[in-house]
Amino acid sequence: MTSAESPAVRRGPDLRVPFGLALAVLACVAPLFLGNYPLHAIIVALIFLLPAHGLNLLLGYTGLLSLAQAAFFGIGAYASALLAVHFGTPFYLNFLAAGLVTGAVALPLGIPALRLRSTSFVMCTLGFVIIGQAIVKNWISLTRGDMGLAAIPKPYFALGPASFTVSGTVGFYYLVLAIAALATLAVYLIVRSPAGRNMIAIRENETLAESVGIPTWHYKLVVFMISAVFAGLGGSLYAHYLTVVSPLTFQMYYSTTMLIIVLGGGAGTISGVIFGSLLFVGLTEALRVAPELRMIAYGFFLLALVFYFPNGFAPLIGRFWSFLERRK
Amino acid sequence: MFYTIIEQVVNGIVSGSVYAIVAVGMTMIFGVLRAINFAHGEYYMLGTFGAWFAIDYFDLPYPVAIVIGVVATAVIAVVVGNFVMQRIVGAPAEAGVLATLGVALILQNTVILVFGGSYKFFSGGYIEPVTLFGFTLAEQRILIIIVGLIVFIGLELMVTYSRMGKAMRAVSQNIECCAVVGIDVRHVALWTFILGAGLAALSGVLTAPVNVSVYGGMGELITFKTLPIIIMGGLGNVRGTFVAAMILGIAESLVATYVGLQFRDTVGFATLMLVLMWRPHGLFSAQARF
Repeated sequence: MTSAESPAVRRGPDLRVPFGLALAVLACVAPLFLGNYPLHAIIVALIFLLPAHGLNLLLGYTGLLSLAQAAFFGIGAYASALLAVHFGTPFYLNFLAAGLVTGAVALPLGIPALRLRSTSFVMCTLGFVIIGQAIVKNWISLTRGDMGLAAIPKPYFALGPASFTVSGTVGFYYLVLAIAALATLAVYLIVRSPAGRNMIAIRENETLAESVGIPTWHYKLVVFMISAVFAGLGGSLYAHYLTVVSPLTFQMYYSTTMLIIVLGGGAGTISGVIFGSLLFVGLTEALRVAPELRMIAYGFFLLALVFYFPNGFAPLIGRFWSFLERRK
Repeated sequence: MFYTIIEQVVNGIVSGSVYAIVAVGMTMIFGVLRAINFAHGEYYMLGTFGAWFAIDYFDLPYPVAIVIGVVATAVIAVVVGNFVMQRIVGAPAEAGVLATLGVALILQNTVILVFGGSYKFFSGGYIEPVTLFGFTLAEQRILIIIVGLIVFIGLELMVTYSRMGKAMRAVSQNIECCAVVGIDVRHVALWTFILGAGLAALSGVLTAPVNVSVYGGMGELITFKTLPIIIMGGLGNVRGTFVAAMILGIAESLVATYVGLQFRDTVGFATLMLVLMWRPHGLFSAQARF
């Protein structure tokens, strides 16, 4: 992608693969040396990684700024929670259903929304969050309104007579890690396919993309649906992890967090978004000492991001990386 | 039955006037800066808090509190304008969204940090009822309608005749040409922003006696109500904003009475989506200007 990557410039061996492997091994053995609280923070970050991956496909690769991730996150959480509470279905069914439901909801919402231009599109997606919250608050017979749904079972798997429940933090960590890894692989495959190239073409110049025969409208709609499915899957995990959902799941806070993860890490790169989710953990942890200052610091963080690091913080790491490689 | 409808329409006009004063500032800011100001409701909240502070701590009369609320907000707007809003001119759309979201978080949570997150009682204002043409209405509501009319006539005169007003119109039509002919775009952007924030504060102080309670998070709801109004009115369109605000105010009032109070706050976005499906550039704009 960058000139530093071309083999002619690089002297030492490629450190990316060993570094990635080391990170994977580290992720697998993390519960051995991390306490319950840090593990909890990483679980939340990995859960948020799913909607962030979706937003990255939409914003980073296709160039559509959407604030709707919180709405789809909430829809996924409620779909999963309602199934689990009312029918007691196993986790994988709830999880898949959450993805299907959000995808199905995203289609009719995306058709009118994607007709709009930049600012109006942003507003429309924000509207989904506001209206979603109102529906969840007021459809009391189904959602119990402000009281929310409690006692959502921890993920359990049942195949025939055998069944087991993921109850502890460590177990959940591995479950989320596996799902996050699969999601990352899925995003990688999408981005590296010809479809991914077409998405980038739409981001760079929609009119030009249209003129060379890319069906831009279909691409935008499908990417919008995929991003919603990712958000819904994340919401499902969140519901099963916290074991409660409430209308607070439909909050601008979640849309803002997804934006911080994607733009803070670097939109349009997969490793950037993974870095962004870890950055989010670091930020939350660093601000744990002063909870009332957390949101203020979040605000300043956003300003710094916009004005000093418009490409996110990941390029900083990249520069450090090439600096290390050149020194050898 | 008929009497109730008229009463609800009048109430709708009152809240429509409030929305109109807030939204016209936001739409002018959009016209000049090309950025949706997600922190706009926060200036409404700051104005209210300034006035509440003046009344609660210094026992000042309500008219003085109005001035203090608006001036305090304008001072904060100067700071935010200089450090944030001026840099947005010419930046991509994401920059505007993120920066103003950041400002909203900072302003809202600083107020909560300083004054606490609880609801506060706003004791100023004119709450005596008056009877006009057989309708009973609080004095404050009449004041809101009158101030709303004055603000709109004043703005109309300002953008038509004053130098700054003409510059604002020019910048909202074409930034590059303005820069070429020597208009200081950043200066115009700053003053538009201060004017917009001041109007939001004024509207906040005017509404506070009707709403009675004041709290740090109140700005968010106002931002979410204003956004559909300015889009429906056609971004940057002052008269369109006025009409859209009135439509929303009356629609909310009728929905609250005949459908259910809990659905009032979704009327804006629901209407917006219906309107956008039918007219993607808003009600009062033949084409997208921005």
